[in-house]
Amino acid sequence: MTKNSISKNSMDFFQKINIFKVNSISPSLIIVLVVMYSIFGGVNHDFFSVQNFKGIIAGLSVYGFMAVGLTFVVLTGNFDVSIGSILGISAVIIGKLFNINGGNIPIPIIILAGLAVGAAVGALNGFLVTVVGINSVITTLGTLAVFRGLSFLYAADPSLINNKTYITLGRGFIAHTIPYTFIYLLIVFVIAYLVLRFTKFGRDTYQSGSNPNAARLAGISVKKIQFFAFVIAGVTSAMSAVIMTSQAAFAQGEFGYGFEFTILTIVVLGGISLSGGRGTLIGVAISLLIINSISNGLTMISIPINWREAFNGIILIAAILIDSIRVRKRELLKA
Amino acid sequence: MEQNLTKKKKSAFKLTDTLILVIALLALCIFFTAINKSFFSYDNISILLKNMVITGILALGLTPLMIARGLDISFGASISFTGVFMAFLYDKGLPLLLVLIIGVILATLIGLLNGWLIETFELIPIILTLGMLSILSALGYVISGAKSLSMLTDPLYYFATRTFLKIPISIFLLIIFIIIYWFILTFTKVGRIIYLIGANPKAAMLSGIKVKNVRIYLYTFMGSVAGIASIVLIAMTGVGNPLAGTKMALPVLSAVVLGGISLAGGAGSVWGTIVGVLIVSVIFNGLSVINVPSYFIQMFQGIALILIVSLYEIRNKRAARR
Repeated sequence: MTKNSISKNSMDFFQKINIFKVNSISPSLIIVLVVMYSIFGGVNHDFFSVQNFKGIIAGLSVYGFMAVGLTFVVLTGNFDVSIGSILGISAVIIGKLFNINGGNIPIPIIILAGLAVGAAVGALNGFLVTVVGINSVITTLGTLAVFRGLSFLYAADPSLINNKTYITLGRGFIAHTIPYTFIYLLIVFVIAYLVLRFTKFGRDTYQSGSNPNAARLAGISVKKIQFFAFVIAGVTSAMSAVIMTSQAAFAQGEFGYGFEFTILTIVVLGGISLSGGRGTLIGVAISLLIINSISNGLTMISIPINWREAFNGIILIAAILIDSIRVRKRELLKA
Repeated sequence: MEQNLTKKKKSAFKLTDTLILVIALLALCIFFTAINKSFFSYDNISILLKNMVITGILALGLTPLMIARGLDISFGASISFTGVFMAFLYDKGLPLLLVLIIGVILATLIGLLNGWLIETFELIPIILTLGMLSILSALGYVISGAKSLSMLTDPLYYFATRTFLKIPISIFLLIIFIIIYWFILTFTKVGRIIYLIGANPKAAMLSGIKVKNVRIYLYTFMGSVAGIASIVLIAMTGVGNPLAGTKMALPVLSAVVLGGISLAGGAGSVWGTIVGVLIVSVIFNGLSVINVPSYFIQMFQGIALILIVSLYEIRNKRAARR
């Protein structure tokens, strides 16, 4: 008996530190990643070159930030399809701020303004979903249209950004190998992981996603949690806008068009269950790497551009099929 | 007596629901006419109605599906893909009728695939159809080489341009659709089953209805509707365009949701949908007539969607409080 409980305790401890848990999706994702890399690398040896990997890693952050934000929203059991539009509107405002007042506005203020725009749109989404009570898909579909329209209206032509320091923020490398953007991404992922795993807010997020009624009865303000999840998604999209404008050195209303699809694929493939309350950021990180490497790899093995979008769709459908089968297995185990 | 009273109250409540929409519609019409008189001209109205046909039949197809708690957003891509495919086949020299039949069958099969995958694996409809959307639009690009394929035929041209009693012929297609859907949803057993599934799927299952099969039929039917819409689109534009359907999801979904269908299922009617379609089309047409840039139009559609759905939700909450 005691022996049993001891081994159970040690198992629990092991489970706590083991990021690849038994029922985690991460091992299978890593297998997918390895298989993919060997195919891409086998067909074109340049895929494994340092230069190429630098490209893949430097491109991770724009999608990565948004994936973290969307993870929070999906964990609470909602959707946000407006994140691409949020990126667009904050990018446009950042671009405009660099071009008014003779370009004399300090960079931190511009970045903060961009992030504030993201937070504001996220708060609007959150308000409409939690206070007014509209379904999150409909809400964000509406705000998607509104803010995409606004950003096109405001910046149909690109506004150039000539600030060297700002451009280095997105294009710079540490010791010519590690991009700055990768460091930001790492910081954001670690913070978000710690928040979700070790804080009250994180636990409440999972709780309000997996069983909103129980959460409410347990004294969690589910609406507040959902509201903040939308704000987080807005802010992370604005962070992507900062990186994107700095890497491109201009801003345009088209930025972020259709991103919501890719980000959703990353989040779902990463094992964040669409019914809410399930999944970890580790899976999201690996699937981020998978999705980013796919577009790069398909280019490297010269798949025609028209076919590439189909791959994303196939992967998304495969991901949700796996998700559904996993959910069913879990329910069988319960029964 | 009291039952009678509550019944009366209920029917009055329902009436106001559609009435608000009709009033909004009239207000919009008056507003646009006041700004530009040509809005109310015969030419413009017939253009408005013609443009409404595709949105209308798609919204009608979506109505029973969404009442039964399904959702399909891949119809835009399905239209592009089948359109391109039909133009491709016609270019290869197949007879027109055969081409059109193949197109509708193809779209129907896409709908069947959607329904089968969603119902057997219990997937979230919006996500699966989102994936399907991306696959289909990619296939459309692949077949067409990312350009429009022309498909000009006399019968389709006739269908798109001729009028009967000064009414464009394509309008009659929409009217036929309205009558069929209205009849099925209000007067038949199938219609009642669809409402029951939406209102309470478990109860429907327990009362012996094969919920999954019914939904698969509805998805399949939505596919056929998309195929027909694709033919209408080719008739009107004369090309199979791989980009044609990309901007259809927002207006059609807005129209359906404006018409009072909630994603939670069980509610909505054909007439609500039609008024929703009219509002969306009037906004689109009216803003074009008064020369507003197209970005604004998208914005206004978004704002209208959020505003009206907010009104619904606020009213629902008030009703629940009582």
